[in-house]
Amino acid sequence: MRRGVGLGAIQKHKLEQAKYTNIGNEIQENQIEQMTKQLEVFRVHLEDFATKHKNEIKKNGEFRRQFQDMCATIGVDPLSSGKGFWSVLGIGDYYYELAIQIVEVCLATNTKNGGLISLDELRSKLIKARGQSRLHQEISKDDLLRAAQKLKIFGSGFSVVSVGNGQYMVHSVPGELSMDHGAILQLLSTKNQSFISVKSLCSQLSWKEDRAKQALEQMLDQGLSWVDLQDDDAVYYFPSLFTIASSTDE
Amino acid sequence: MADVEVNWPWQYSFPPFFTLQPHPETRSKQVSAWKTLILEYCKKAKIYTLDVREASQWPLFNNAAINRKLDSSVIISILSELAKNGNAAALDKGRNRWDIYWHTLEEWASIIYSYISDSGLQNTVLTFYEISNGADTESQEFAGMPIEVLIKVLRLLENDQKCELILSNDMQGVKFF
Repeated sequence: MRRGVGLGAIQKHKLEQAKYTNIGNEIQENQIEQMTKQLEVFRVHLEDFATKHKNEIKKNGEFRRQFQDMCATIGVDPLSSGKGFWSVLGIGDYYYELAIQIVEVCLATNTKNGGLISLDELRSKLIKARGQSRLHQEISKDDLLRAAQKLKIFGSGFSVVSVGNGQYMVHSVPGELSMDHGAILQLLSTKNQSFISVKSLCSQLSWKEDRAKQALEQMLDQGLSWVDLQDDDAVYYFPSLFTIASSTDE
Repeated sequence: MADVEVNWPWQYSFPPFFTLQPHPETRSKQVSAWKTLILEYCKKAKIYTLDVREASQWPLFNNAAINRKLDSSVIISILSELAKNGNAAALDKGRNRWDIYWHTLEEWASIIYSYISDSGLQNTVLTFYEISNGADTESQEFAGMPIEVLIKVLRLLENDQKCELILSNDMQGVKFF
């Protein structure tokens, strides 16, 4: 069949196009409506669920994590919702409270570690600080990460650094940690070691001497490390990692 | 130097604690930790005076376990910091010999004076020896205080008209009011 070439043909074609679009839109609208309904139902169920298991959610760390995941899938953030239903639930409050306590621990240990603390140490200090009465409210590392991540909104003064192997460190002073700084922390944390020299850093990460020296000196300048000059080479020590290695006093 | 029971802070096992830190903020934390440690150590060991040349060998400044020691010049600079708060005083120009006041002289003065008033010893003449080494003061914190330090403390009280020092050939003592 010969395709229409006249004006009529073009108009007819346009009309068809428009019809298709209309039908397409209709279908889409239907789908969206459907999905919204479904989501709404799910939300209601989720809220029911949350109310029913409120105590469970507060007390059980694993349960809490799964609940968070569930919320995340449908775009509900119980942490950020201070109003309405979720505030009644008080889950956001839980994390706010935790976040404040994290800041407190970071400030309290700042003199020692210069504002860098491992998540493990943070957790044990925090549990100690919360005291006996709250012992039944176990805090998981996942909770801490969630709460600490919320603190990012305060700008560069607060960040969570992954140091590999599922280990994290919380950095609570202004000033960015570069990739190189992160790599150093990662290396040391993996080796469960609190110190390193320029030479050994070069050999372990195949860095040029300048790069290693610069990175270590920068961390020294940020108060994150101390230098020891009573060995053959200058050795840089990280008090934040020192506790992990020897788990001394306090 | 007898062994002293000290609760060593974590820094004592931290090798760079024995190297003066270049970063100002870290250094001030370091110096303040040293100040606290020195005073606590001297208090526990009842050390009133020290000579840096000898003291640098003490466990305080010398952690054999990690093979680190604090340099004499650093010790002197920390003692000078202590002096600013009245917790130490250099006794010679070379700054080698020092008085250490884990209580400042003012604090000592009020400690001693409270003891005197609590024991009703006003208007009595006591020898320096009786105060620092007498059987009655054995349990007091100032027991064992060297006479030279004691005199400095008593001079403060004398300035406040709370006592009068008697320094004659046959009698070295003090009368409290």
